[in-house]
Amino acid sequence: MNLLWFVILAGYAVCAVQSITGLSAKRPGANRLALGALAVSFTAHTVWLLNEGIKSGRCPLVDAQEKSAFLSWCLIVAYLVIQRWYKANALRAFVFPLIFVLASIAAILPGTTEHPEGITSPVQRILLAVHAGLIMLSYAAFFIAFGAGLMFIIQERELKLKRFGLIFFRLPSLDTCDAISFKSMSAGFLLLTLGIAAGIIWSRVRDGIFWHGQPIEVFSVFTWIVYLLIIQSRINAGWGGRRAALASIVGFMLVIVSLAGVRYLGALHVFG
Amino acid sequence: MSIILLGMNHRTAPVEMRERLAFDSDSVSDALEHLVDHDIVEEGLIISTCNRVEMVASAPAGLERGLDRLTNFLCGARNIPSSSIDAHLYRRSGPEAVAHVFRVASSLDSMVVGEPQILGQVKDAYQHAVSAGTIGRVLSQLMDRAISVARRVRNETAISQNPVSVSSVAVELASKIFGDLADKTVLLVGAGEMAELAAQSLMAAGSSRLIVTNRTAERAEGLAQKFGGGVVSFEAFYDVFPLADIVICSTGAADYVVRHDDVKAAMRSRKKRPLLCIDISVPRNIDPAISSLDNTFLFDVDDLESVIEANKREREKEAKAAEAIIEMEVQHFILHLRTLDIGPSVVEVKQLLSEMALAELKRNRKRLGVLNDEQEAAIRDVLIPALVAKLSHPMILHMRTSARNGERSGILDELRKMMKLD
Repeated sequence: MNLLWFVILAGYAVCAVQSITGLSAKRPGANRLALGALAVSFTAHTVWLLNEGIKSGRCPLVDAQEKSAFLSWCLIVAYLVIQRWYKANALRAFVFPLIFVLASIAAILPGTTEHPEGITSPVQRILLAVHAGLIMLSYAAFFIAFGAGLMFIIQERELKLKRFGLIFFRLPSLDTCDAISFKSMSAGFLLLTLGIAAGIIWSRVRDGIFWHGQPIEVFSVFTWIVYLLIIQSRINAGWGGRRAALASIVGFMLVIVSLAGVRYLGALHVFG
Repeated sequence: MSIILLGMNHRTAPVEMRERLAFDSDSVSDALEHLVDHDIVEEGLIISTCNRVEMVASAPAGLERGLDRLTNFLCGARNIPSSSIDAHLYRRSGPEAVAHVFRVASSLDSMVVGEPQILGQVKDAYQHAVSAGTIGRVLSQLMDRAISVARRVRNETAISQNPVSVSSVAVELASKIFGDLADKTVLLVGAGEMAELAAQSLMAAGSSRLIVTNRTAERAEGLAQKFGGGVVSFEAFYDVFPLADIVICSTGAADYVVRHDDVKAAMRSRKKRPLLCIDISVPRNIDPAISSLDNTFLFDVDDLESVIEANKREREKEAKAAEAIIEMEVQHFILHLRTLDIGPSVVEVKQLLSEMALAELKRNRKRLGVLNDEQEAAIRDVLIPALVAKLSHPMILHMRTSARNGERSGILDELRKMMKLD
């Protein structure tokens, strides 16, 4: 772990701690400190990704270190986008601890500069970057939808049972949670659609076939169908509120399986 | 530090006592003029609300004498023997008095901790004293700081965030569910006083539409008119029920007026948009079983009370953070006040130096030879003030540092001696 990662992790650690302690009390000083730490770490993080890409001459999305680093970077982008429209500071408590964990994984894992096999043309390189990048962004968006869904469920429970815990006072309204969850899920679905499409085209360009029949492909398409059904029933059958929030949580469980589990199910993705 | 404070509040004195001692806004100017005698009490201010009577003053001639004068004044003004109020009065001086003023302005000393009115009342009291001409250097600094401390407490803690009255809790619950109330419809079933208060708060918070239904139509119409809402007859309110996002029920009925099946049907046509029902009637008018329906939230009087309790606890917790802020601010203020105390000495140092310089100029004027008016004026108005500023600067710094450490700088005495030697 080099100095750069040390700086990145220190900043994210501050953010993660503040995101949780900030739930129980309003402390503007700590809030400013966390924002400053976020700005420094995020900049350093971006620099690392750019440097990694330049050093290896490819999109930094190939080995596990790069995937963790890029996914945590995507989470911050997704969080910042949401924060632009909604005042939902409590969302941090879900996002920042995960960012810290992913960044720690990236910091600990050894880096490689290996190129995936069989990449010959620049078209393939670009397609691969687009495919992996879009899918990572979609996972980040699904995570935000999951976090907002969880906030909805927690708050809905508290309102129903009339038991108001510490974090009740910091959670955004049910309506806001619902809106964040739905918009993130829709954005994630769009990104996943484009990401899968890019993957299919890339597969065709490289191997001449659209479909390898690997578990991760099956699982991704399954995840895609589930999100399609959730969004569809929400729009057409008025599936708002609690059920939509539960669906965003279930959907994200599938994402976790796609992301981590498939590797251990026996089959490798092209570069697992 | 010459600040003193004498007063009583809702904890130390019963309401009859506070009533007897209170000053209304008409009598307060008169009282202030009598309070300040420019001898024992130099500056004064009276904060009088339904929960407290407090007199803040500066007493340069001695804190105990000042406090005694405040007591005598209060007894004299209200014609009460001091023996009967002594037990209810608290006396504070120095840092303790400053802390008390900060706590009062920040609403930490209020009956409902964090209530926002007290700051306005403190500002009014300050304004009255300014108009009466009883505010000077010390109290103006104290009150300006108290107001900014109160703002700081409000911004940096959540002390006034969580509502502690039934109608404001209704608004909070509505905002927790709907976020923005702008396009939300409020239905009042029964038009009692509590319902009216809740409706008033909800409309003030941005709700756009009000529908009132009541057994006696006149009362419903009166309320609807007041808030620009509509009226439906009590028999027909089930028809408009699905339109409502927030239902406030307060009829005198002995049985459920809003039943489980009604709400279930309404929720179907609302396409699962959430519904908030607040039942402030005893016995209850809304079937508690509706709680089990998805996206339906029901609160009865006991629930609202428990929300109020929870919010009060939350405020107590925030009050601890506020106390820490105040402790820090008191220290800052005392340091500031000590450096403020050297103000007159600074003026005197500069004056002494300037007098010495002018005397020297006079003595040596001939040696400077022939000077025209312009040159002469430049020496007087530019050179000497510049020298005085330069020479006095380290002395002032020394005085300020000594003052901050609570010591007295001997520089001024030395200068005075030097002048006498001349």
